[in-house]
Amino acid sequence: MNSQLANYRESDWFGPLLITVAAIVIVSVFNPEFLSPYNLQILLLAIAVNALIALSQMMIIAIGQMNLSVGAIGGLAAISFGGMMEVWLIPWPVAALLALGIGLFAGIANGVLVAWTGISAFVITLASLSIFKGINLGITEAQPFYKIPEIVKLLGNETFLGPLPWLILPTVVVAVGLWYLLSFLPLGRFILAVGGNAHSAELSGISVAKTVVAAHAISGLLAAMAGIMLVGRLQLGQPTIGDDWLILSFAAPVIGGAVLTGGKVSVAGTLLGVTIVVIINQVLVLFNIDPFLVQVVLGGLILWAVGVNRWREVRAQKTEKRLAA
Amino acid sequence: MSDVVFQTKGLCKRFPGVMALDDVAMDLKKGSIHALLGENGAGKSTLIKIVTGIHKPDGGTLFLDGAPLVLHGPRDAIAKGIGVVHQERNLIPRFSISENMFLEKLDSHPLKRIDYQELHRQARHWLEMLGLDADPAIPVEKLSVARMQLVEIAKALALKSHVLLLDEPTASLTPHETDNLFAVLNRLRDDGVSMIFVSHKLEEVQEICDRVTVLRDGKNACESQPMEGLGRQDIVKLMIGRSEQIPNWQARDRTGNPPVLELKNITTAIGHRAVDLSVHKGEIVGLYGLVGAGRTELAKSILGKYLVTAGEVLVDQHIAAISNVADAVGRYKIGYVSEDRKTEGLVLMHSVLENVGMTVWQRLAKGVAFLTNRAIRTQTLPFINKLEVKAPSLDQLVGNLSGGNQQKVSVAKWLAAGVKILIVDEPSVGIDIKTKTYLHELIRELSDEGTAILLITSDMPEMITLADRIVVMNDYRVMGELANCREYSAMSQGIMNLIHEAVEVDMSPVQATP
Repeated sequence: MNSQLANYRESDWFGPLLITVAAIVIVSVFNPEFLSPYNLQILLLAIAVNALIALSQMMIIAIGQMNLSVGAIGGLAAISFGGMMEVWLIPWPVAALLALGIGLFAGIANGVLVAWTGISAFVITLASLSIFKGINLGITEAQPFYKIPEIVKLLGNETFLGPLPWLILPTVVVAVGLWYLLSFLPLGRFILAVGGNAHSAELSGISVAKTVVAAHAISGLLAAMAGIMLVGRLQLGQPTIGDDWLILSFAAPVIGGAVLTGGKVSVAGTLLGVTIVVIINQVLVLFNIDPFLVQVVLGGLILWAVGVNRWREVRAQKTEKRLAA
Repeated sequence: MSDVVFQTKGLCKRFPGVMALDDVAMDLKKGSIHALLGENGAGKSTLIKIVTGIHKPDGGTLFLDGAPLVLHGPRDAIAKGIGVVHQERNLIPRFSISENMFLEKLDSHPLKRIDYQELHRQARHWLEMLGLDADPAIPVEKLSVARMQLVEIAKALALKSHVLLLDEPTASLTPHETDNLFAVLNRLRDDGVSMIFVSHKLEEVQEICDRVTVLRDGKNACESQPMEGLGRQDIVKLMIGRSEQIPNWQARDRTGNPPVLELKNITTAIGHRAVDLSVHKGEIVGLYGLVGAGRTELAKSILGKYLVTAGEVLVDQHIAAISNVADAVGRYKIGYVSEDRKTEGLVLMHSVLENVGMTVWQRLAKGVAFLTNRAIRTQTLPFINKLEVKAPSLDQLVGNLSGGNQQKVSVAKWLAAGVKILIVDEPSVGIDIKTKTYLHELIRELSDEGTAILLITSDMPEMITLADRIVVMNDYRVMGELANCREYSAMSQGIMNLIHEAVEVDMSPVQATP
């Protein structure tokens, strides 16, 4: 019974896992520096933040929607965090909590608008993207906040054990928490049910509206978390934080086997997707390759991932037809 | 009558221009399988939607266990004990059987860990009861359609449904799976479950149901009669026998004209066998048959949507190889007015002009690289005027027009394309009597001008009004052909005999030779 479940999951990870392992092996053969503790630390730092961005989008993909405002929420939370510490001299843990609250609120606002108006999440989050970014620029006047406490800078860059950075801790907690939520808690199951078949979920007594709001709230919270962590890592409250998150946020879940129509996501798959993207970025630095290639390779990977999903679907349909005949 | 579980009294439902239900009654006894029958447009689906809480009745009352019942939406119907197994599957594909069954029980504590073992244990009880040998932990997407259906029945039963409504449950099942399902339903009936069984397959209805309610034109053609003593022919008569006045048009014989469309011994990939059919210039040929006889599918095969695997299609007495719809329209001048005008026939969000012009774009674009509204207008306006489409302007969105006018737009579209053959599928579904009469005159006029028309309709009076010849189909085969003498009782008797013959062929142990 459990082995069946494991089989099922395994088939989702298998491709990304294979690529990750192959990439690590190939790259480290060409450049042994790749597996040096310092490089691993850099790698894990990037994974820690990018994983939260991808998981933030993944929760919305789970209900079959899109959140274009992931980056804008992250950016707003980041500059709020930096600004509260620099201008109001608020202690960093309190500032972090307040910034998380801003992300949560932004997510709830997205969710409520989508659920109440029935307008597609694409349009709602496109609008809120513009609003959040506008507020961000209004507050910062496009200037970064520089006065970041030393402790925050330290937490954003230093390691606590071997190559393991402090930043990886919250990401691990979030990943395990989301996995538990989506596997064992009714709320997580409702999110997947709404994505799988909203009509049937509604008829089974699930409040689709509440579920949609919950998913957006989680998404906003995670985006804010990524923004706050990035302030520590960059040692700046940069207004441009979040501007380049969009492609990654979709690429990683999709590479990890998520279906964009909803109902199927994988936390492990998404983490592997993030790892693949981060490795590609690293490789380009290590081998001095033109950065434009990152975009090309990333696009190719997305096409490959959806292609594999589609191929599985078609194959499943064919088997079904054969069985029916 | 204490054993009546569920009852409707005097149900009325009005839609713009149509009385969908008029004083409809039925009562469902404990431990009974009750057939609900009716042809397209008889009001059956409206009744189903009221019973399942999707529509609110304009008049009349539902009773459950003798108490009046008011339903606020589909969710409420389920909560009050009316379980539904829809024609299309309604499960969450990647969720396990047990989770699908008990999804709503999880609602109380969104953050309390789900005890899957307990869910599986509870699910097993119901699965055993239905004789479904499946692990409750496997995702439903791994099950066959027949088994998914049983899961839905199990789900409804687990929710303590008093009434179980099965809408076309056998539509996608093999004969063997159907037998299994019937065994389960019989067992449930013996356990005291009350079921409403909706189907178009009369032989199944006769096999499994003990009582029957037939709807016709939104009224009871019979109310909760015992199935015993009712023959198949009696049921067909209840479903289609109408006594409507037919206009006094002269019988015509256009078979002397050259044939425009001929099918010779056609076999299709979706199951038609040995179909012969011809439509002559200026002739209206009717295709009659009960729902599921394969008429619309035949039309779509002619249009190249389904593969013709054997036999010949001739257009203007030349062999035609129609591989897709664009071919059918562009090269062979065949138009198709869909029965489903909302999703197949029209683009509701577009204007009248855009809809009518759709079929001429290609032709116009060949000459001038781009399209001007004026060019489209000159091409289409005569046809729009001819059909007297009542729209404030050509820029009016089609979705805002009445059903009758929408239908005119979809006919105008094909006239503008200059078709020689027009296939009209259920033209008067959802339009009022006056527009219907007008539409009939229009179709007749078109044929007088030389268009060959293949008419598909389940509406017997409409068929006898319009067709010059009537071809009767059953089970994807042509059963026979009648010249229309426009004598209602003689024609309807003749048609019913042909359908009836079909049943006898089906039920005889010796396989009919093609």
